Amino acid sequence: MPTGDSWGLLACLCTVLWHLPAVPALNRTGDPGPGPSIQKTYDLTRYLEHQLRSLAGTYLNYLGPPFNEPDFNPPRLGADTLPRATVDLDVWRSLNDKLRLTQNYEAYSHLLCYLRGLNRQAATAELRRSLAHFCTSLQGLLGSIAGVMAALGYPLPQPLPGTEPTWAPGPAHSDFLQKMDDFWLLKELQTWLWRSAKDFNRLKKKIQPPAAAVTLRLEAHGF
Amino acid sequence: RCFPVLVHSPSLNLCLLFRVRRLLFLSEPRPLTPESLEVSINSTCQCLHLQWSIHSLPHHQELQMIFQIQISRITTSSVVWVGNYSTTVKENQILQWSWESELPLECATHFVRIRSVMDDARFPKPRSWSKWSSWEEVDAQDSLGHNALFVFPKDKLVEEGSSVTFCYVSRSNLNNVSCYLDGEQIHGEQLTPNVSTFHLSHVRYKRTTGTNIYCEMKQGRKLAGTVLYVSRTEVLEEPKNFSCETQDLKTLKCTWDPGSDTALTIQPSSNYTLFESFSQKKKVCEDRNWCSWQVTQDSQEMYNFTLMTENYLRKRSVNLVFKLTHRAVRPMTPLNFILENINSRNATVTWKVRPIGNSTFQCQVELHHDGQVIQTKQQNNVFIKVNGKYLLSEMEPDTHYLARVRCAYGNHFWKWSEWIDQKFTTLEADAGDLFSIWSKVCFEMIIGIFDIFFQPLSKSHANGEILFYNIAVESLDKSSKFNLSIPAPHNDTKLTLNKYSYQIHVTANNSMGTSPASVIVIPGEPGHKEIEEERVKGTENRFSLSWEPQSRDAIGYVVEWCDHPQDPLCGLQWQKLGPNTTSTVISSDAFEQGVRYNFRIYEISPGWIASLLEKKTGYSQELPPSDNPQVTTSSLTSHSFTLNWKDYSTESQPGFIRGYNVYLKSKMEQCTSGFERITPSDDSAGCRHKIDNPEQKTFHVENLEPASSYEFFVTAYTSAGDGPNGTFTKVTTPDEYTRMLTHIVVPVILCILLITVLFYFQIQWMKEKCYPDIPDPYKSSVLSLIKSKENTHLTIMNLKDCIPDAIEVVNKPEGSRTQPLGTGKPLTETELTKPATYLYLLPTQENPSGSGPCICFENFTYNQAASDLGSSGHVPVPPSTPPSQLGLLYSPENLLKALEKYYTNSLGEIPAGETHLNYVSQLASPMPGDKDSLPTDPPVQAQCSEYKMQMAVPLGPASSPPSEDTSLSS
Repeated sequence: MPTGDSWGLLACLCTVLWHLPAVPALNRTGDPGPGPSIQKTYDLTRYLEHQLRSLAGTYLNYLGPPFNEPDFNPPRLGADTLPRATVDLDVWRSLNDKLRLTQNYEAYSHLLCYLRGLNRQAATAELRRSLAHFCTSLQGLLGSIAGVMAALGYPLPQPLPGTEPTWAPGPAHSDFLQKMDDFWLLKELQTWLWRSAKDFNRLKKKIQPPAAAVTLRLEAHGF
Repeated sequence: RCFPVLVHSPSLNLCLLFRVRRLLFLSEPRPLTPESLEVSINSTCQCLHLQWSIHSLPHHQELQMIFQIQISRITTSSVVWVGNYSTTVKENQILQWSWESELPLECATHFVRIRSVMDDARFPKPRSWSKWSSWEEVDAQDSLGHNALFVFPKDKLVEEGSSVTFCYVSRSNLNNVSCYLDGEQIHGEQLTPNVSTFHLSHVRYKRTTGTNIYCEMKQGRKLAGTVLYVSRTEVLEEPKNFSCETQDLKTLKCTWDPGSDTALTIQPSSNYTLFESFSQKKKVCEDRNWCSWQVTQDSQEMYNFTLMTENYLRKRSVNLVFKLTHRAVRPMTPLNFILENINSRNATVTWKVRPIGNSTFQCQVELHHDGQVIQTKQQNNVFIKVNGKYLLSEMEPDTHYLARVRCAYGNHFWKWSEWIDQKFTTLEADAGDLFSIWSKVCFEMIIGIFDIFFQPLSKSHANGEILFYNIAVESLDKSSKFNLSIPAPHNDTKLTLNKYSYQIHVTANNSMGTSPASVIVIPGEPGHKEIEEERVKGTENRFSLSWEPQSRDAIGYVVEWCDHPQDPLCGLQWQKLGPNTTSTVISSDAFEQGVRYNFRIYEISPGWIASLLEKKTGYSQELPPSDNPQVTTSSLTSHSFTLNWKDYSTESQPGFIRGYNVYLKSKMEQCTSGFERITPSDDSAGCRHKIDNPEQKTFHVENLEPASSYEFFVTAYTSAGDGPNGTFTKVTTPDEYTRMLTHIVVPVILCILLITVLFYFQIQWMKEKCYPDIPDPYKSSVLSLIKSKENTHLTIMNLKDCIPDAIEVVNKPEGSRTQPLGTGKPLTETELTKPATYLYLLPTQENPSGSGPCICFENFTYNQAASDLGSSGHVPVPPSTPPSQLGLLYSPENLLKALEKYYTNSLGEIPAGETHLNYVSQLASPMPGDKDSLPTDPPVQAQCSEYKMQMAVPLGPASSPPSEDTSLSS
């Protein structure tokens, strides 16, 4: 090995040591940070996904055919007010953490409100119990997201006065359209939970990068 | 369907009003054409609302008018409904009328016109119709909006079983639209180019969220739908059991049974409204089955409630009128129910009642034990104001009880309040004084073994848990005494005592002390009185027993029985009764039906000695016999047979055997005498003979047909009926002739066989008696003897060579044989068969009078010389040989000598005059009498004239041998 190379390596090592305090993953002093709460939120999302699968089956049977048919895919008629979970992949990738979390928070706030309306109109006690249980869980998820946002220092979105979602069907709203709305509510909820799992997984990875990745980055810096 | 509608302008707010285009306007004021016709649509009820007026009524009067209304669909020419509406019309009055369409009004354009006619008596007939108003067009599709597809009606609610018409309205090509009912595609009828209708008849309930109907336009993913709610047939039941009551005269609680909940999501559970007509107050009830009503302070006494309920389809109401204090006051459940001063027998209960004004309450106190009411204070109810108190008495110590109380409004009783109860246990007391012992005595030769049983008469008499029993045994005859103690769970003990009288004292001890002693005396000698057992009839689990007292000074009676008589430990029970008792009822839960219980009634003498008085036996309930007799048949004849069932035990049956039923089945239509047909319709049942005596275990069935098949079955019966069904046994009566033949022919055959056997063994005798072999002279041994000695001119005469010139028939006298003298012994068989014996038959001149049987001997004695001299025709009979000479002939020497002498004399020396020839048959009848019993009578001439074969024989030997001759010839 030539002497010049040895001096170069030493210089590189010094540079790394100089930059070490700037690496967030290694800059921990006992505070666990948002990592565990993101993990918990992720777990809760997956649990709700599982819980909704059962609830949706029961509720769609309650609505009757064709809503409980697996290939029923109606147009989204009166459900325009529901927050849409589907988004262009590139747009989703480009979302920053704050926006990602804010969209989740807003979506579940609205969905929870609609879901409570669903609970009020359910005719059977058993269904009402299941819906109430799910609402409680969803409320927990909302709190969990708020916790993550607070941990990361993001403010909670404030609802604009007068835009509070309500469950008051208009005079022209028919029962069939109401059933369609219920169908889409459950469908959007399912999609949102699926999307949130992806969101929190992404966030989790981002907040807690593995040690190997740090090394690679260091090497990249060095060379 | 059409109906008038009262004018209530607010109600029109519900309707969707559509402006109506006026096609034509006829402005003729006369004769009273309806004017200002306006038509609107109510989509919910699918109704067309018509509104019009009549101007310029003559004299501003009220007129009775008839309006005729015509409704067309799609075009004015296609009229779908015409009808009249009669009403009274005032000047400038706006008239209203409604028509309900089967087809949703949004599905097609409708046209309406109207005309009128006076229907007033003040106007003379004939009256003419006015002109039609102009057609009013109603088109709801204009206001539908810009959607591409619609389905009507929206959210329809119908009763189950009704018919509904649906339609879809499309803005584009119809061919792309498919419609589905609950996921199943349905096909409709095209009404207009962009409207199709679907008629559903007899719709059924599917779910509370209704049946989904939707149409889909493939292109552009357009979808529209509606929900059909089908309410069950019992749409809304009338509330039942509607009643109101108050507990405090402040609040009335009205309750009712709403019936089944037929809620749909479109039509939630019906609300109930309470209306009181006197106060004109109304209250909407929050619950489906009860409602509270505040009693007014102005002391309203009478209430008239109407309970109303309605949904979209039906209305129901019930009415209730009552006077508050008479028919509605039901006090609240009593409070503070407390038991005080509980001791072994008594306790005091106290309680409180919430006061209602100044009224009194009647309360009912009940005392329960083991789930049953044992005391109730219903007849003499306790009347109280606020505080109630009652003394419960006559309870048993150490016993669990439940006391409860309820109250009713005292001024006007209507309903009891709810019960309030409390459990408690009375305290223990001294061991009871009514203590019972009983002994079963088993005497042996010298030593008596006593089974002493003891028990408290009831738990109450024990006054608590018994810990142990003390037994004191004292001899009456000798002054011996001993004590023993038995721990409580045991209730009997065995004592082995001498054969003396003993007095036994038993006391029971509980934690509180000792009971008074119970005494019994066991006598030294058991009684030997024979007492007849009497039958008693029990009922379910009790027996009523009565007896005749024997002595006046009896101090009591004891009835003894076993609860389980079939068990070795029979569960001995007894009941002690007072001296004046002559009957009792023995009841026990252990009594079972079909088990015989034996009761013994003892009389207790003043000396505490029990003596058997009566014996009773009976069943709590008799059952039919458990088994049938094993029957055997005997004495079978062609007309009768006998049935026997001697081994049948009548004692071990589940009922008293009253007798037997003998069932007999045969092919005969008529039953044999003594039998009756039991069920004429059923031939298989056969005939029955009833035997009333259980001891009669045999029965003779008579008057039967010979050679017939009968089936019999014998069953015992009790008061509960026959024994179990069993199989019939078959019996076939024998033929009459067969029997006779059996009795006669068999003995005859046996006799013949016997005779045959006898004859077989006596054939020789028979042969010699009846058909002896004819001796061949040529084979005669005599001939050989003669030949060997003389061998000269001796020949044997051949009979066929002779020409008889005379035949003498000799009657041979019978019984000429005489006992042989000098022989000393009878001849043996071997001796008899010796050929030499024939020589005896040779004629001996010395015995001319002896004439033997003229049969059965060889005629080899035929003499040639005699034959030669036969010309004289007489052969002299030789003199009979003296009996003394016969004995000598037995030895061979004598025989030879005799032969020599005979032949010498006969051939050489016999004078012609002394001999003669007789023809004697071989088949001469034998001598009468036994061959062994030789006749002593003088010889009788035998009847030989009938002899068929005759031969010449010397007469002498044939008649002379008086002794063994006959034997020899056999």
